[in-house]
Amino acid sequence: MQRRRWLFSIVAILPVLAIFAYVRVFPIVEILRLSVHKWDILSVAKPFIGLANFRELMGDRLFHEALLNTSIIAFGVLAITVPLSMTLAALIYHRTRSRFAGFYETTVFIPHVVSLVPAAMAWKWIFDAQLGPLNALLSVFGVEPKAWLFDPVLSLVCVIVLCSWQALGYCVLIYLVGFKNLPNSLFEAAKLDGASGLQSFWNISVPMLKPITLYVSVITLVTSFNVYAQVYVLASDAQGAPGRQVRVLVLDMLENSFRNYRIGYAASEAVILLLIVLLLTLVQFRLLRERRSRA
Amino acid sequence: MKFLANGLAVPLRKTALFATVSGLGLTAASDDAGAQSIQVWSGYPELAPFYEHVAEGMADEYPDLEVTVEAINLRDHERRVALGLTSGEAAEVIELASALASRYLAAGLLNQAPDEVSEFVTNPENFSEFFLEGVTWDGEIYGVPLFRGQSALYYNTDMLAEAGLDGPPQTMEEFDTYAEQLTQRNEAGDPVVSGWTLRLSGGGAGIAEKFWINMFQHGEFPLVETSEGKWVSRLNTEAGRAALQQYLHNLYETETVTIDLPADAEAFEREQSAMLIRESWVIGDIAAKAPDLNYATATLPEGSIVSAVNLYISGDGEEEQAAWDFALAAQQPENLLWLLDNVGWLPNRAGLDYSEIVAAKPAFGAFVDYPEDYAFFTTPAIGPIEEVMARMASKLEQAFADPSLAGDDEAIGAFLQETDDEINALLDREGILGER
Repeated sequence: MQRRRWLFSIVAILPVLAIFAYVRVFPIVEILRLSVHKWDILSVAKPFIGLANFRELMGDRLFHEALLNTSIIAFGVLAITVPLSMTLAALIYHRTRSRFAGFYETTVFIPHVVSLVPAAMAWKWIFDAQLGPLNALLSVFGVEPKAWLFDPVLSLVCVIVLCSWQALGYCVLIYLVGFKNLPNSLFEAAKLDGASGLQSFWNISVPMLKPITLYVSVITLVTSFNVYAQVYVLASDAQGAPGRQVRVLVLDMLENSFRNYRIGYAASEAVILLLIVLLLTLVQFRLLRERRSRA
Repeated sequence: MKFLANGLAVPLRKTALFATVSGLGLTAASDDAGAQSIQVWSGYPELAPFYEHVAEGMADEYPDLEVTVEAINLRDHERRVALGLTSGEAAEVIELASALASRYLAAGLLNQAPDEVSEFVTNPENFSEFFLEGVTWDGEIYGVPLFRGQSALYYNTDMLAEAGLDGPPQTMEEFDTYAEQLTQRNEAGDPVVSGWTLRLSGGGAGIAEKFWINMFQHGEFPLVETSEGKWVSRLNTEAGRAALQQYLHNLYETETVTIDLPADAEAFEREQSAMLIRESWVIGDIAAKAPDLNYATATLPEGSIVSAVNLYISGDGEEEQAAWDFALAAQQPENLLWLLDNVGWLPNRAGLDYSEIVAAKPAFGAFVDYPEDYAFFTTPAIGPIEEVMARMASKLEQAFADPSLAGDDEAIGAFLQETDDEINALLDREGILGER
């Protein structure tokens, strides 16, 4: 009986496992395989070249630039999104009795569901050096107009702002779930002990929300390491309104794959990205384990 | 009749057993089997109406043929061609630049032209040797030359008149002085209208291509074929240094242009720039977006780039035949003149009478009537050309953002040498590096 149940379970999940293997595992294995081959997408021959692609990556100026830009964007988005989303979630949570609570939640979440391209186009206009409202606003305070989309540093800032704006809604939502699961008794006890709202937030909410913070951090980092569409739109080739092309890893991979016809080389970049994402995930598990062992 | 272009549909049926194309005795095979459909992939959205026009012209003879036109951004087009051709899911009619098509031809992914198409293309009355080479691989014909990108100077006649300038600049030195005189500034002295708009940013290889055009006016070309199939990058030459110095001079010394000023055709059309070097499609764009703009065109001091774009065919069976018929239908003089008149791209076919169009739109004059010693160059049809241009563009973008290079010949030379080294390493990797 036990054996039949076990067999039934296996058979039941087999189709799901097969689909998962095909759409998730197989592409990863294929990427790993391609990364040690030279392939131009057009020819049948795919000679094995060992780690030559990785060695070339080590000396590739454009890859270094892409890796640095992507890392700055990812950690920049993380630095903005996590504290801001936690603060916003706290404010919204403690105003849940307000008749505007739904409005606040919707307002914060809208950027996450808005289609990326029109949103990025709107931001492109905001950052426009000549006609953009951002420079107009800054000029009111006597700040010189900035070439937001052209300056090497400011163009990175623009991408970080755009990505943070997009990520914020989802992170706030996750934090709100976290806040709603915190035991009220702790806050009541703290209040009886004379703790202020800010003290309760800092000494109770922040530590208790650590698992949520770790989850949000990893999701934000992983998503941000895959940044592409934002930089593509902000520096799109539209006549008359280009911007500096912020080179990021996914863009570099796409160029190497479909413009330079170097699939194996692009695959080796993908492997590096995969390793970064894996490392970040391992860090998350490690931190969670440490927390559990201390508890 | 139906045509599919970005959602619109127009079916065309073939009724004739043999269809005569352009009165030259070219024939098309029949299709009695009913509806057929072919797709046309283009990398120029403005060309969608042209392909629709061609399909509409075929309607009488091919009422059951359904033509779908998908004209998208060039970069996305290149990606879909790479994926489509290798997966066997590409359109039947594919528009590709000669330089880009070489990889696909080498891999055997594009169809060899049938005899009647080869005869038409190789007829010297139809195409010059230059365009014939672009569609030839191993001595065989693989495509039909369609149009070309060729550059000329556009200048705002009102602005030149206001600045007291008679006629366009004739030398590259004059480009600098004209730009200075044409630049309009605000009270703080910052330029608000650039004298000469330059390609300084944006993705893709456009920055490099525009730089090549300017460098060519200084007398040299950056990629040199030293022997059969071997190439070397020579940016760090007198012409290369002069070209980069000219960009930096205008950017940081005379400040006739800034990196964040509106640029390119759009800026010219909005009168935010007085001079622009661009291809002929801008004439059509101006007619559509700024019909009241007073402007004229002129040839460049030395010559122009010519980027030949051709139609290639993939697929097989009846669709393949219909696709070749479509490519030939596009060659009808009426269609090619329509292309120039309504879209602005220059047809590659020889022997067309442009007089009526030039009389009505004198701006085309600089593209079809040029001095006898006017030189033309093209992007080399080598495998890694896109990577070469992308890397060069990335380096040039760095240079344009570095004011310390302006006026420093030594630093400019060192920078260009660094770029040469990077490009030559790439050529070496591909096994096509020539003797330096």
